[in-house]
Amino acid sequence: CNRPNALLCSVAADIISTVEFNSTGELLATGDKGGRVVVFQREQESKNQPHRRGEYNVYSTFQSHEPEFDYLKSLEIEEKINKIRWLPQQNAAYFLLSTNDKTVKLWKISERDKRPEGYNLKDEDGRIRDPATITTLRVPVVRPMDLMVEATPRRVFSNAHTYHINSISVNSDYETFMSTDDLRINLWNLEITNRSFNIVDIKPANMEELTEVITAAEFHPHQCNTFVYSSSKGSIRLCDMRASALCDNHSKFFEEPEDPSNRSFFSEIISSISDVKFSHSGRYLMTRDYLTVKVWDLNMESQPLETYQVHDYLRSKLCSLYENDCIFDKFECVWNGSDSVIMTGSYNNFFRMFDRNTKRDVTLEASRENSKPRAILKPRKVCVGGKRRKDEISVDSLDFSKKILHTAWHPYENIIAVAATNNLYIFQDKVN
Amino acid sequence: MEYKVEAHRIMSISLGKIYNSRVQRGGIKLHKNLLVSLVLRSARQVYLSDYYSGACLNAAQSEREANEWDITDSEREKFPSSTTECDRVESPEEPQQTERPEKEHEHRENDDDLKSDQVDCTSTLQQEQNQNSLDSVANVSSETPPETIKEPKESPSESAVAERDSTPEANGESHQPPKTHVCSNRKRSAEETESGDSPQKRIKVASSDAEGDEEAEEMDTSNVSNLITIFGSSFSGLLSKDGAKPESETEDSGQICCDQMLKNLNPWSTAIVAF
Repeated sequence: CNRPNALLCSVAADIISTVEFNSTGELLATGDKGGRVVVFQREQESKNQPHRRGEYNVYSTFQSHEPEFDYLKSLEIEEKINKIRWLPQQNAAYFLLSTNDKTVKLWKISERDKRPEGYNLKDEDGRIRDPATITTLRVPVVRPMDLMVEATPRRVFSNAHTYHINSISVNSDYETFMSTDDLRINLWNLEITNRSFNIVDIKPANMEELTEVITAAEFHPHQCNTFVYSSSKGSIRLCDMRASALCDNHSKFFEEPEDPSNRSFFSEIISSISDVKFSHSGRYLMTRDYLTVKVWDLNMESQPLETYQVHDYLRSKLCSLYENDCIFDKFECVWNGSDSVIMTGSYNNFFRMFDRNTKRDVTLEASRENSKPRAILKPRKVCVGGKRRKDEISVDSLDFSKKILHTAWHPYENIIAVAATNNLYIFQDKVN
Repeated sequence: MEYKVEAHRIMSISLGKIYNSRVQRGGIKLHKNLLVSLVLRSARQVYLSDYYSGACLNAAQSEREANEWDITDSEREKFPSSTTECDRVESPEEPQQTERPEKEHEHRENDDDLKSDQVDCTSTLQQEQNQNSLDSVANVSSETPPETIKEPKESPSESAVAERDSTPEANGESHQPPKTHVCSNRKRSAEETESGDSPQKRIKVASSDAEGDEEAEEMDTSNVSNLITIFGSSFSGLLSKDGAKPESETEDSGQICCDQMLKNLNPWSTAIVAF
């Protein structure tokens, strides 16, 4: 069992609201509550400094979204970045989609390390030269300059969502993407911003009949016609866009019957799915609800293949968690590159990993005190009752203000990024 | 009983969350409010069903109700007919007052239904617990007679009133229909029965306010129960049918309800005043 060690810890100005590696793992993007995006880039291996291999440094920082005011509804639109999704790299520039509650933006991140000098009509500062002073003609020359990383908004996809956007997902065709709010899913072409197609609409004719909302959606990693969306009732629907233009009828419906012995006032809340992720293989689905992570086989709709308890000791504390709003926390979940390990966050800055093959799990903590650079993370344990051992922490001592909602796993390697409030931790397998 | 206290507490907390959601930055979050409304509904069902299975009112209360009903008759028109879920549930405090407007209309001659329900107390309870709100809401809101609410329906006949003695359970239903004449009968029989159930005492306390207050309180708790009904049975309280403008409509009804909630001095207020 590998023990991750800490590589880098960086502090964001604001609470981190999303974390995402790009498809090669070279870049790591974080979005925060203030609408900023910070992109980290992995250091290239260098013979001179082999120990610095794999460190992530800040590559680019930009303000993606600003707070807006909807005058029609007298509503402020938060600038918080809900999700970032990278596009696959097609040229020297990098592209990502970032979204707040209402608007999706396509950002281009590109490097500039040369610039032309020696213009005829303007001087080096850019001021226009007096034509009378120009007596010779020269060809501008491209000279190297200090590396500059620029981020420019290339597309703005707006005015398509009445409700709050909770997910975006890039299609494997690399031409389209979808944006999802509480009741609708819209399909966009990456090139076209003034038109989107509604592919799922679960808004009832009479809003009084509303019983569930969409909580997350994702395209299949390989089949560009297939996507899934999860609901607040704990179900997942798989849809095929070839079947009809409006995918209100699902192809598959995944739901596990509720265990009646666990029924409480809060059963509905804790069964609401907060995240859904396809495995890299495309064969499995993972869902996260408040207390568990479940792995589903796409071929079996009646029940999940595997269920992992993230923090079942909270089951008896649901009422307090309801009072302090923690029960509404939306935890995300991620697969590792080979789909053999899954990871999700918890409270007290704990995060959990489950090995699907060995059935072993580990609880780790992301905190400054415990993770000096290159220190090895020590497994943590929550004591659920009875005698508390020396290193264990009791349920009542857990800090519920320290929650790990967002994590990311490098697409190939055992490098993970963990967002703990406004700290970003990057852990890597110990290299022997 | 502790379930009742717990359910009540959860209801208050839920209402507070819904109230606060209106002022949160970024607008009302549909998902969270839907979940809160579901909790509110569950808590309310437990709260009411728990009372129902515990003990019902005695007729002494219904006597007071009779007085109140005369006053509230005029109030009936003020309440939207969408307060439907309360109608089908028998319970002491707020539903009695909510249902009064509707029940008056429906049950003027139907006191005997209640009597018949004495026997069916438990089965009705189960029925309620099994049904979930939406269908029955739809049924009741269409103003169909009691069939939709209670199980066996007997045609109202006042003659049966005096015959059937009130059992403790019966009293849970008995206060519902606003019939002065019926109440006088029940009062007689109720006085003969003794009951030390705390719910009854609670009602007595609430009813013992001055006449003038009764009217105000009645309206307040009706609006509270309206609010609860709206949120509990569906999501209509938070969103208009045109989802594009949820907040403006919400604020109007929510504001009125919440303001009156805050003015309220009955047991509801202890938790809600804080908001």
